[in-house]
Amino acid sequence: MDVILQMLSGKLVEGYMPIQMLWEMGGCALLFIAVFHYLGKKGIKVNKLAQATGLFLFSIVYFTIRIYPPIPFSVRAIYAVMTLIGIFMWVSSTNESWNDFRKPIFAVADGTTAATRMIRMVSVILLPFLVGFLSYNSMKPSADEPIELRTVHPAPPASTKVHGKTFVLQTSNSPYRVDDDGKYSNEVQKKYTDGNPWDEKAPPYMQYVREGGQIFFQNCHFCHGDNLNGRGMFAFAFNPIPANFTDAGTIAQLQETFVFWRVAKGGIGLPREAFPWASVMPPWEQHLTVDEIWKVVLFEYWHTGYYPRTWD
Amino acid sequence: MATLNKQAQKKIWAFLALGTFVGLLLLPLFLSLPAGASGGAPAPAASTAPPVAQPADAKPVEKSRDIWYKTEGPVVGAPAPKTTDGPKDYPRYNFESRVLLWVANQQHLYYGSFVLAVPIFCMVIEYLGIITKDKALARKYDQLAYDFIKISLTAYSLTAILGGILVFTYLTLYPTFFGYLASIFRPVMHTYALLFVAESGTLYIYYYGWDRMREGFLKWVHVSMSVVLNMIGTVLMMLANSWIAFMQSPAGVDDQGRYLGNIWHVIHTTLWNPINVHRIIGNMAFGGGVVAAYAAYRFLTAKTDEERAHYDWMGYVAMFIGVCFLIPLPFAGYWLMREVYAYRQQMGITLMGGLLAWLFIIQAVMIGSLFLTTNYYLWQGLERMRGAERYQKYIKYMVFVLITCFIVWLTPHTMVMTPGELKAMGGQQHPVLGNYGVMSAKNGAINTIITTTVLSFIMYQRGNKVPTVKWAPMGNAFLFGMFTVAYINIIGLAIYGYYIPANVRVGLSVPQVATTLSCLFIGVLLNSIMLKGAKELGPTAWGQVSVRSQYALIMLATAFTWMMGLMGYIRSSVRLFWHVNEIMRDNSPWAFTHTIGFAANMISFNVLFFWITILFVFWLGSLGIKKAPVAASVGQKVPVPAGSH
Repeated sequence: MDVILQMLSGKLVEGYMPIQMLWEMGGCALLFIAVFHYLGKKGIKVNKLAQATGLFLFSIVYFTIRIYPPIPFSVRAIYAVMTLIGIFMWVSSTNESWNDFRKPIFAVADGTTAATRMIRMVSVILLPFLVGFLSYNSMKPSADEPIELRTVHPAPPASTKVHGKTFVLQTSNSPYRVDDDGKYSNEVQKKYTDGNPWDEKAPPYMQYVREGGQIFFQNCHFCHGDNLNGRGMFAFAFNPIPANFTDAGTIAQLQETFVFWRVAKGGIGLPREAFPWASVMPPWEQHLTVDEIWKVVLFEYWHTGYYPRTWD
Repeated sequence: MATLNKQAQKKIWAFLALGTFVGLLLLPLFLSLPAGASGGAPAPAASTAPPVAQPADAKPVEKSRDIWYKTEGPVVGAPAPKTTDGPKDYPRYNFESRVLLWVANQQHLYYGSFVLAVPIFCMVIEYLGIITKDKALARKYDQLAYDFIKISLTAYSLTAILGGILVFTYLTLYPTFFGYLASIFRPVMHTYALLFVAESGTLYIYYYGWDRMREGFLKWVHVSMSVVLNMIGTVLMMLANSWIAFMQSPAGVDDQGRYLGNIWHVIHTTLWNPINVHRIIGNMAFGGGVVAAYAAYRFLTAKTDEERAHYDWMGYVAMFIGVCFLIPLPFAGYWLMREVYAYRQQMGITLMGGLLAWLFIIQAVMIGSLFLTTNYYLWQGLERMRGAERYQKYIKYMVFVLITCFIVWLTPHTMVMTPGELKAMGGQQHPVLGNYGVMSAKNGAINTIITTTVLSFIMYQRGNKVPTVKWAPMGNAFLFGMFTVAYINIIGLAIYGYYIPANVRVGLSVPQVATTLSCLFIGVLLNSIMLKGAKELGPTAWGQVSVRSQYALIMLATAFTWMMGLMGYIRSSVRLFWHVNEIMRDNSPWAFTHTIGFAANMISFNVLFFWITILFVFWLGSLGIKKAPVAASVGQKVPVPAGSH
C-alpha cells in the first residue's frame, strides 16, 4: 500500500521503477483518451493530427525528463520511433481517422484559405533552413568521445587455466557450493538465504560464504562497493564504473564458472571480441588462490540473492 | 457393371503408375545411401570387409574416433586441408570472395525456400478444393492453388540457375574447402542432384497436367503428386542442410577431419534436425509472405473490382498461412539455440550475449515489426466488413499494449551510449530500463504481443458477425476470462522471473508459451464454433480495403526476407574463423567478422536484389495469364481459412 501511495505521489520508488514506468505510461495514455473523449462529448472536436502531435511531444518529454538517471539518446531514439509507429497505426487504423489526420496536411498543401496559404509559405521557407540546420548539426565537429558498442559478456573460452589447473567452463562446479554433507548442490544457497555466516556452528556452505566475504572486503569492495552495487569508493575514477552485481543483468545471467574465469583473468584477460577491453579489473589469479576465487564468487551470489545460471 | 470394371481398371492403372513413379523417384536415394563415400585418400578396406581377407603384409586398417559420436571407425578420408592465404587455396578477383559467395548463397536460399514452400500451400489448398462440396468454392480453391504454383514455376528455374552460380562460386573461389566438403559428401551431393531432377520432373508434370487431371480420380492422382513433390523437396532441403550443419557442428570425422566411413553420422550431426525443423517452418512463413506480396502487387495494379476482390482474398489467405507458421517459428528457433548451447557454450554466448548479440537486437526489431504489421493488416481488414465498426474503438488500446511491449522487447541489455552518457547514468546498466533488458521481461513482452495478435484475429473473425448460439453469452464470458487470466499469468510470471534462479526462470517460459498457445488454439476454435450460423451484419466486401493494408503485406514480406538474411548471416558467421568448426580453419584474408553496419548493408542489398528479381518473376507470371481469376465479386461469399467467413 505504501508503495502504491508513493507511486501516486509521483515519486520513483526504488525496486518498483520498471513496473511503475509501464503503469505511468498506461495512465497517461488513458488520460489522453479520456480528455479527447470528454472534449468530443462537449462538441469540441480536436483534429487527429493535433492529437497525434500532442501525444508524440508528450512522450518525448516523458522519456527525457521523467526517468532518472537519464536515458541514453540511442534508447530514447528507439522509443521515439516506436511511439511514432504506434501513433501512425492508431491514426490510420480506420479510413475516417486517417482522413481526419490528413485533412490539415492536404489543406496546407492545397492552400485553400488565406491561413493555410500562409502556413504553406512559411513551411516552404523554413523547410530548407531546417534541413540546413540538421545537416550542420550532424556535420559539426564534435569533441565527444565516440560511441562504443561494448560486449559486456563476451563468449568465454572452452576452458581456462588458473594456477596450473585447467577448468572446463561448461562442466566445472564450485567446490564450495556444497550441502551439509559436502556434496555439490544447486539448492544449498536457497536453503541458507537467511543464514548467519557469523554463526560458529554454521554449516560448511555458510562458512565458505563468510570466508568469501572476508576476501571480498579485503580486495573487491573498494571498487565494487559495500553493497556489491558497483559504487565503491574508487568506482567513479573509472569509466565505465565497475560491474554492479545487484543488477539483474550481471552475475544473475552468468554461470558461476564464467564469473570465476572473469575474476581470475581480469580486464587484461578479456578475449578479442570484448573490444575495447574497457575494464581495469586486475587478474586476481596473481593475488588470490583458486579456492579464494571460488569463495569470493560464492559470496557474491549469496549476498546479492541471485543464483548462478545452470543448464539443467 | 462393365463401366464399373472399366473404372476400377482405370483406378488400378492410376495407382500402379503413381507407385512406379514414386519408386523411380526414390530409387537414387536407396541406391546411393549404402554406398558411402571413399573420401579423398586411397581408401583402405572398408569396415565391412572380413578381417581374414587381409594378407599378412597388408597395412592394418587405421582406426580413429568420431569427434561427436565418440565411436571408432576406419579412417577412409584425408585430413582436412590446412589452407594458406594464396591463389592455390583462395583464388580471387580483386574483390572480397566471401561477399560474392554471400550474395550467391543468399539468393539461392531465397528462391530455394520459396519454391519449396509454395508447393506445400498448393497441396493443402488443392486438397481443400477437392473435399469442398460447394463447387464454386472448390473452383476458387483450385484456381488459387494454380496461381500459387504458377508463381513458383518461374522461380524454380531461377533457383536452379542460382544453384549453378553458387557451385561455380565455391569451385572458383574456395576450391580447397569445397573439395574437402565434396570428398566427404560425395554420395549426398549425387543424391541431391538426382533428386533435383526428380523434383523438376514432378513439378512440370504437376503444373502442366493441371487441366488434364482436373476431374474425378485423376484429380486425386494429381494431388498425390503434390505430396510426392513435397516429399522430394523436403528431402532435398534436408540434404543441403546436412552440409551447413556439418560445417557448424561436425560429426562423422575424427579430430583431424578424416572421414570415418559412416555417412549417416556426417549427415546426422547434432544441429541437423533443429535446422531442418526451423527451416521448414521458416520457409513456409517466408513463402506465405512472398505470395502475399505478389497478391498485394496484383491488387495495387488491378484494373477491375473482380481482380481486386480476388487478389485481396489471395493476399489474406497467403498472409494467414505465413502467420500460422510464424507463430511456431520462435519455438523451433529456441530448440535450435538450445542445441547450439548444448553443443558449444561459447557458440551460444557468441550468438546471444557476445559478438553477435547486437544482431539479435535487430532480429527482435524484425520480429516485433512482423507482429505489428500483422495486427495492422487485420485491423485494416475490418474496413471491408460492414458491422465491424463496433470493434474499431478497441484498436487504440491494442496499439498501446503492443507498442509498450515492443518498447520492452527492444530495450537493449547493454545500451549504446557515449562515455559522457555512461557517466551520467552511473554504470553500464540503467536501474530502470536495465530490467527490460533481461529474458524475463522479453518473454513477458513477446507473449503479450502474440496473445494480443490472437485477440486481433478473433476480433477480425467476428467483424461482421454476431453469434447466435444459445450459449453465446457464456462463450463470450469464457473468452473474456481466458484472455484476462492469460495476460495476468504472462505478466505475473515475467515479474516473478526476477526473483528466482536462472534455471527455474528458463522453465517459466513453458507456462507462458502454453498460455499463449492456449489462447491461440482454444480462443480461435471456440470463436469459430460460436460463429457457426452466426447472424451476418453485412457482407465481406473483398477488394474494398485500403491500399495501406496491401502495403502492410509488402512490408510483412520484406520483413520476412530481411530477417531470413539476418538470421542466416548470424548462423553462418558464428563459426568465426572456421570453415568447418574446430576442424578446418579459414585462412583467407576474410576470416574476420564483419562490422554490424557492413553486415546490415549486405543483408539489405540481398533483400533488394531478391525483390527486384522477384518483381520480374511476378511480371512474367502476369504475362502468362490464360485463365482469368474466378470472379469473387464484391460482397460475394468466398472461402477463408479458420472458418472466419
